[in-house]
Amino acid sequence: MKTLIRGGRVIDPLQGIDANRDVLIENGFVTQIGEHLDAAGVRVVDASNAFVAPGFIDMHVHLREPGQTHKETIATGTAAAVAGGFTAVACMPNTEPALDSAAIVSEVVRRADAAGLARVYPVGAITRGRAGAELAPYHLLADAACVAFSDDGSTPRDARVLRNAARYAADLAHCFISHCEDADLKGDAVMNEGEASMRLGLDGSPGLAEDVIVARDLLIAQDTGKAWHIAHVSTANSLELIRWARGRGVRVTCEVTPHHLAFVDDRFDDYRADSKVNPPLRDARDRDALRAGVLDGTIDAFATDHAPHGLDEKAQLLSAAPVGFTGLEIAVGAYALALPELGLERYVTLLSVNPARILGVPGGSLAVGSAGDVTVFADRPWTVDARLFRSKGKNTPFDGLTLPRRALATVIDGAVVFEHGRVLPREEVPA
Amino acid sequence: MAPRSLLDVDDLAPAELVGVLDRAVAFRDALPSRSLLAGVPVLNLFFEASTRTATSFTLAEQRVGADVISFAPGASSLGKGETIADTALTLHGIGVRVIVVRHHESGFARRLADAFDGHVVNAGDGTHAHPTQALLDLMTLRQEFGRFAGLRVAIVGDILHSRVARSNIVGMTMLGIDVTLVGPATLLPDAFASHGVRIERDLDALLPSLDAVMMLRIQRERISGGLLPSLDDYTQRYQLNRARLRSLRNDAVILHPGPYNRGVELTDDVLDDPRSRYVAQVHNGVFVRMAVLDLLVNGAAVAA
Ligand SMILES: [Zn+2]
Repeated sequence: MKTLIRGGRVIDPLQGIDANRDVLIENGFVTQIGEHLDAAGVRVVDASNAFVAPGFIDMHVHLREPGQTHKETIATGTAAAVAGGFTAVACMPNTEPALDSAAIVSEVVRRADAAGLARVYPVGAITRGRAGAELAPYHLLADAACVAFSDDGSTPRDARVLRNAARYAADLAHCFISHCEDADLKGDAVMNEGEASMRLGLDGSPGLAEDVIVARDLLIAQDTGKAWHIAHVSTANSLELIRWARGRGVRVTCEVTPHHLAFVDDRFDDYRADSKVNPPLRDARDRDALRAGVLDGTIDAFATDHAPHGLDEKAQLLSAAPVGFTGLEIAVGAYALALPELGLERYVTLLSVNPARILGVPGGSLAVGSAGDVTVFADRPWTVDARLFRSKGKNTPFDGLTLPRRALATVIDGAVVFEHGRVLPREEVPA
Repeated sequence: MAPRSLLDVDDLAPAELVGVLDRAVAFRDALPSRSLLAGVPVLNLFFEASTRTATSFTLAEQRVGADVISFAPGASSLGKGETIADTALTLHGIGVRVIVVRHHESGFARRLADAFDGHVVNAGDGTHAHPTQALLDLMTLRQEFGRFAGLRVAIVGDILHSRVARSNIVGMTMLGIDVTLVGPATLLPDAFASHGVRIERDLDALLPSLDAVMMLRIQRERISGGLLPSLDDYTQRYQLNRARLRSLRNDAVILHPGPYNRGVELTDDVLDDPRSRYVAQVHNGVFVRMAVLDLLVNGAAVAA
């Protein structure tokens, strides 16, 4: 099978390419990058007036399977991924049951293969059942295809457990991904603590709830030497702490979501849960610090924290409604909306190069011999209509907004899985 | 245009607010006929127990001739948002035109009002708002001083958890009252210092300058919640007692939304003090609620 991505402006930061080039993929791997490559007898993806990048990787999504398939399935989640321009996603372990055994992880991999869309990289739990007490079997999980470990959604409350986990897993290259939130400081909060929560009479979680766990985890990372990744940073202080740790030689990376870059905590006047998310949308000072952190290189990766829920679940009272938004199908445009000044090279680095490097997975480059995973995208404004999402989750604060950029085509192993607004499972692609 | 609902004080324009108070005074001076809301079905929907507020609303509704229905579903049922829309539809279907609602969650009244094709009066939602309480406090202040602009008022105690304080802050600042909040940082975070409201920690320094002081109830569970070291420690700084009463001017007044905790935020001396206006507040509450119902249902004032 041969596929030619023709006529696009290739942005490949690792090779230092930013020029109009054709990309030829044969038998799943990039075999040529050049001008005016021969298109005879190959499947052609027209990328004229568009950008061509190594496939985008979302290193933080929730596919809800097993256990909550009314919210999402691996099939619907990976359809959303490729429709959003992602060739691969890392799925978080807060499923039911949690991804804390090789058997469950293998089942996720099997279902992802059956769906035949985006690559799925499971993230194993740090503690059994994500309960914060007993260590998960890291080597067995790694053998079963886990690419990192996290108790996402929460964090081990007991620092000794987390330290032991990091020490035990130290011989594995797999990083620990921290959801930084102190459950005690957070309490029953439904939003950020600040002027808005005071005015509305709503329980607020202070930025401090994130900062103290970021500080703790960075010190444990330093102590254990483990590579560490801070998920969905949301505060200015978190970024300061990460800069400090890097200055001390700690191997730490971090990610930011589109919603934390775009919105602040002034969205609760109607008392609906449409804007309820963890960590909560912060204030303008934090949001501005996050934007600056992307531009100055402190933030390594874009990640959606795609967290689908049923509409009826989100329609409950604020206290009862679940946290999180669907994100895969708006991300490419949402980052561009929040950061119009971000250059394309850095944009691709955050969406592809760095997620691949942090997770240690293929991708991040279109160099000859690399996996034939490609995202074609363009600066073409479009208006979000969440009802049309492939994801079962229809809740996003970007609904109804006009985004400046969108994915046009998604190619995995040389197979076109998304083009012209249609998702095409890999099996159906003519060989 | 009359507002459809009263969810907080600022659903009223300042002139409208004063109009409601004028009307409440008129009702107090001479009870209106029972034809104001004759035959209008009004539902009192109290998810959270409140003898005083529920009784006051019921009396107000009866005095304007409404068909009063009272329902106390308790805290557990009907709490889920997915049933708010259904509940609102059902209530409208059976003919309810006004819902007076109290709920333990901030924003419930707003969510109900968004779904209900009729008038909603917020009788207290979580820690958010309690507009009719603020209106009766304002009525009591005007009765005392004949004006609002320039009055110096302190609200003392657990501001963080007080819907009464929030609605009073909104209403008082709207009318040009100089508002100072007093309390420990755990019950009065700095984030309250905005929109023309000041924060002070020293009640003693402030008392001599005040026209009115509003004492809020302190709940004992704030100690177990880690917000206060002890009631003794709290009362040492913030209790209104005999010694502090001496600092309060003779022409100043003391307000309390009730119910109070004797020996905590205030002592028996305060309740016996001639400057205390607790009874006037409760009395005014009925007339304010009559005026609110009249405004929502009938719009511009009709002959009393
Ligand atoms: Zn998380």
